[in-house]
Amino acid sequence: MENCYHCGDVLPTPSILLDQKEFCCQGCANVYSLLNSNSLKDFYAYEKTPGIKPNKGRSDKFQFLDIPEIRARYIQYEDEKIARVKLSLPTIHCSSCIYLLENLSKINAHVLTSQVHFAKKEATIVFDTNAISLSEIADLLQFIGYEPDFGRKTEIKGIQKSFLLKIGLAGFAFGSIMLWSAPDYFGITLDNLSFRNFTAYLSFIVSLPVFLYSANEYYVSAYKAIRSRSINLDVPITLGILALYAQSTYQIFTQQGPGYMDSFAGFIFFLLIGKWFQNRTYQSLSFDRDYSSYFPVAIHRMSKNGTEIIPIEQLKQGDHIQVRNEEIIPCDSILVSEEAQLDFSFVTGESALVKKKKGDLIYAGGKLIGMTIELAVKSETNRSHLTQLWNETKDKKESNKLERYQDRISRYFLIILIIVAILSGIVWAFIDPSEIMTVIVSILIVACPCALALSSPFTLGNTLSVLGKNGLYLKNTTVVEALSEITTIVFDKTGTLTDPLAYQVQFTHTNLPDEVWGILKELSSHSTHPLSKVIHQALTNQYQALKLNDFVEIKGKGIAASYQDKNYQLGSSTFVGNVSSTENGTVFFAQDGKVIQEIHVMSAFRSSIPTLLSQWKDKRIFVLSGDDEKDLPELIALGFKTEQCFFKQEPKDKAAFISERQKLGEKVLMLGDGLNDVGALGTANVGIALSEDMFRFTPSSDAILDAKHFHLLGRFFQVSKYAKVVLKVCLGFSITYNLIGLSFAISASLAPIVAAILMPISSITVVFLSSSLIHFKFWRGIE
Amino acid sequence: MGMIYLMLIVSLCIAVFFLVFFLWATKNGQFDDDYTPSVRMLFEDEPKLKDE
Repeated sequence: MENCYHCGDVLPTPSILLDQKEFCCQGCANVYSLLNSNSLKDFYAYEKTPGIKPNKGRSDKFQFLDIPEIRARYIQYEDEKIARVKLSLPTIHCSSCIYLLENLSKINAHVLTSQVHFAKKEATIVFDTNAISLSEIADLLQFIGYEPDFGRKTEIKGIQKSFLLKIGLAGFAFGSIMLWSAPDYFGITLDNLSFRNFTAYLSFIVSLPVFLYSANEYYVSAYKAIRSRSINLDVPITLGILALYAQSTYQIFTQQGPGYMDSFAGFIFFLLIGKWFQNRTYQSLSFDRDYSSYFPVAIHRMSKNGTEIIPIEQLKQGDHIQVRNEEIIPCDSILVSEEAQLDFSFVTGESALVKKKKGDLIYAGGKLIGMTIELAVKSETNRSHLTQLWNETKDKKESNKLERYQDRISRYFLIILIIVAILSGIVWAFIDPSEIMTVIVSILIVACPCALALSSPFTLGNTLSVLGKNGLYLKNTTVVEALSEITTIVFDKTGTLTDPLAYQVQFTHTNLPDEVWGILKELSSHSTHPLSKVIHQALTNQYQALKLNDFVEIKGKGIAASYQDKNYQLGSSTFVGNVSSTENGTVFFAQDGKVIQEIHVMSAFRSSIPTLLSQWKDKRIFVLSGDDEKDLPELIALGFKTEQCFFKQEPKDKAAFISERQKLGEKVLMLGDGLNDVGALGTANVGIALSEDMFRFTPSSDAILDAKHFHLLGRFFQVSKYAKVVLKVCLGFSITYNLIGLSFAISASLAPIVAAILMPISSITVVFLSSSLIHFKFWRGIE
Repeated sequence: MGMIYLMLIVSLCIAVFFLVFFLWATKNGQFDDDYTPSVRMLFEDEPKLKDE
């Protein structure tokens, strides 16, 4: 066995052996023995290597949860004995996770029950408040690999219950009315008027809640559209619904016939199903994150007697705060400690650490690497540089709304409909004036664009799920349309074109003795610093690691150890001493203070870029980079041209560049990954956030692309273009059906049975057509 | 003919019963999570420790 029994990672040498099973790290082994001792061995039976490598966290990491006002945010219910809390656990990923989390009570008896919602990646936990605190529960979850995410998520609007109720009501009415209308269709009841009247009144009663409750969204939407002097598809739909209902009611109460109540209920039923299909979303992904979900919930403030934990909102200008290793800087502040190293990779996309000295201004959003520091708050979180960047673009998005293809069609549809209705009214005035009303009402009824309204949700909804299976998660169906119209693609460089997980490691001195390489290999494996891990990986299959003694690690600086009374150091220039170079991404390896090796670590570009570029001959492509021009030669080697690359772009410049392009009539796709792209992602017609880890934080965007599927980007465009063709085919079909119906209506011969057959058939054909065209083409994936 | 009235009423009552049942189930959260319960039911039952 070559993989860790718990988490499935490739085993290092030496691995940890326990119960004849191999583990990659102590954390995994600890979880295994904990589960084992609580008879939860089944965890490993449901899935292979189901575990998650636990993150080593400080023991007081979740202390803030015991502050009453913060605790109250997460507790849903509490009495003297028990409390219920709902926690978001982003690492939930398989059925074994459900098994383990729902058996938490076996590990800790003070947890009373726990229930997992898999799709939302949430667990609802009930615990004994007298015996265990919320922070202890968080600690326990972190220990077994499910670190709770306490960032405040904007509540994802799933399918609302009231919507299901509306569908249920409409379906009920549709079925019932159909049942007792059947004899009428075949003319059986013509000689029995009292039975026909009885069923007609019954239809009226049953369809009343459908008219008043199930269909109300359409009235509201149509009313809003008319008030803002725009036309959407809901206008002709509402017109049709009202005509249908009014005509039927009139017929029922004047005892002329049963009306079209079955068609009416059917309309609403199918329309709502279409809407339901369109509104399904990815419950565990969040596309509109607030900045507050990125920052910590609570921070350590310095006070007269040590530190105290306060909620981030209570932070004031001038406060002194303490930030520890791996914590996020919560606000723009001045460094009080001597020096600090910060990782701004999420803000700028640049993974090399940034050094700051005493008195320097540190912007919010960086992550501290190394020793605890003290900061003086310069401005509160909600007024920090980062937050303002975020808020600036939030409003822009609304005005940038896309006009949907369907809405464009529906405008023509409505105009033609009214013209046809008036013309046939005039014609009938000459033939038989008593039929005018019947004809006009029938035209409105039969033209009600039910199939038209279903084409778009089903075509685009199916495309959405096809794309989702291939790693591109769209926020909603309008993004499919927008994606098909893209003419210009703009890339962020760092973290988007470059792969943050792939590195090129360059050794300046290659002719060192094997012994030294062995020491380097061993030394690098003992540090948790990302650069050190990269170096270790580069040496994985070469050289024999040697056993070293006296490890000393200074967080964020380097690591030292001794071998045969010589001292070796690996780390930054200041750590090994006497080197003046401070180039980022360079690691020094020294023997007794003398540098014997310089290691350059550079991020590598994604390998699929040249292929993608060759597919996009018809599109304009740009690269906007926050860095200087040092990577230009490499970009050119990949296939970019000098005039396509722009360097030293501030976040504002990126957004401005995109709106410039849009003014030229281009439809822009922005691909970015960091917070500094938030403005550009928001401005672009489609903003795609690239993410290495799907369920972690991503900047707000229209779509999230799993970085593993970056190479499929070209195919995604083709899929969206194909979807557009399918949409047109479906629209063609539904308009044909409407024309057939119109010919009946104009000749004043629209019998209830014609309406009752035509409407479901047209809707079902369109639904079947769109689903099969999309799924047959892509049922094996899109490669 | 009177029979058909009765049949109609009865069928409507049955339909209303199912409608009410559906409304109750929806409000009660039966459709909130459509995946987890399908996995949960497959877990092995273990002999309960007799603590209480």
